[in-house]
Amino acid sequence: MKTLFAALALTVPFAAAAADSYTVDPTHTYPSFEINHLGFSITRGSFDKSEGKITLDTAAKSGSIMITVDTASINTGLGKRDEHLRGEDFFNVTKFPTMTFKSSKLRFSGDKVVGADGELTLVGVTKPVSLTVDWFNCGTHPINKKAVCGANATTTIKRSDFGITYAVPAVGDEVKIAIQVEAFKD
Amino acid sequence: MTKTIASTLTALALVAGAPAFAAPESYVLDSRHSFPVFQVNHLGLSLQWGRFKKATGRITIDREARTGTIELSIDAATIDMGLDKWDEVMRGEDYFNVAQFPTLAFRSGRVLFDGDKVSGAEGELTMLGVTRPVTVALSGFNCITHPINKKNVCGGMATATIRRSEYGMTKGIPGTADEVRLNMAVEAFKE
Repeated sequence: MKTLFAALALTVPFAAAAADSYTVDPTHTYPSFEINHLGFSITRGSFDKSEGKITLDTAAKSGSIMITVDTASINTGLGKRDEHLRGEDFFNVTKFPTMTFKSSKLRFSGDKVVGADGELTLVGVTKPVSLTVDWFNCGTHPINKKAVCGANATTTIKRSDFGITYAVPAVGDEVKIAIQVEAFKD
Repeated sequence: MTKTIASTLTALALVAGAPAFAAPESYVLDSRHSFPVFQVNHLGLSLQWGRFKKATGRITIDREARTGTIELSIDAATIDMGLDKWDEVMRGEDYFNVAQFPTLAFRSGRVLFDGDKVSGAEGELTMLGVTRPVTVALSGFNCITHPINKKNVCGGMATATIRRSEYGMTKGIPGTADEVRLNMAVEAFKE
């Protein structure tokens, strides 16, 4: 009996140190991509709608990421191009309305997140993707006083790995991904 | 005499031909592949991107003389932050005040070369009616025959950094940074 109480008492501190949960702020979170066009200029696009949850346990240096991106919200600044990108040649949004990034392996340097190893699912194909977090900071939001964290994450993928091969190589196969993310603590 | 006239004509032809050959080439910006974008630090948390959907312009370069000019006009109302409500705020008086200042302009009479490649430009940016000198760096300059329409097309990536407060846009500083990184993909077809 005494042992059981001791075990419960030990369990409580672990619960207190459990991961903090954050909800992505869609108004300041935009997954974006850059792709080489004709070998000399970079076409930049982003997705206007995404949502997600992030958990962080800085003491245990662990956490998780679950981001869902609305593929139809693609925005390259040109309506006709966006229409083409939504079609079967590229994101095929009718069949694949979302793409997701999931990670349960965050990398830390001290109490800062510096990366995440996870899986990207795009047009139904799931591949391992490793994100580099080159900026991470947490604070209190000056207006709503909520705890908030922000980051910039980058990675590079080959779109052909996901079966999107249209116009390679005039439009580059390599796609640089940059994600600006802000998330409020629940 | 005839021979002299012929020589003179040849010389004239050469004179006429040479400057014509080395004359400035004129390029028109391809608005479908040339988007001015900017990056601003938000609360020390993230870098937020914005874009203008419509820019038009003309570039001349004289490869022999290594000179050139740039005229760029940006439709301020086409600002695109990825969120309509945010765009409305940016069009308003606190930011781009598009009703009063419908265009942003960059003009340069001094295009910079590194060898025979364009490497940048010294010019002036006009925003909110304020004109300030801005130096733009251009990386990756290249000219090719477009694979589809077979026209001569030149391009590169232009970058610069400004302080928006110098143009009188001070709203939200320092929560939203004063320093703004500008970045523009440039593609232009030869006329």
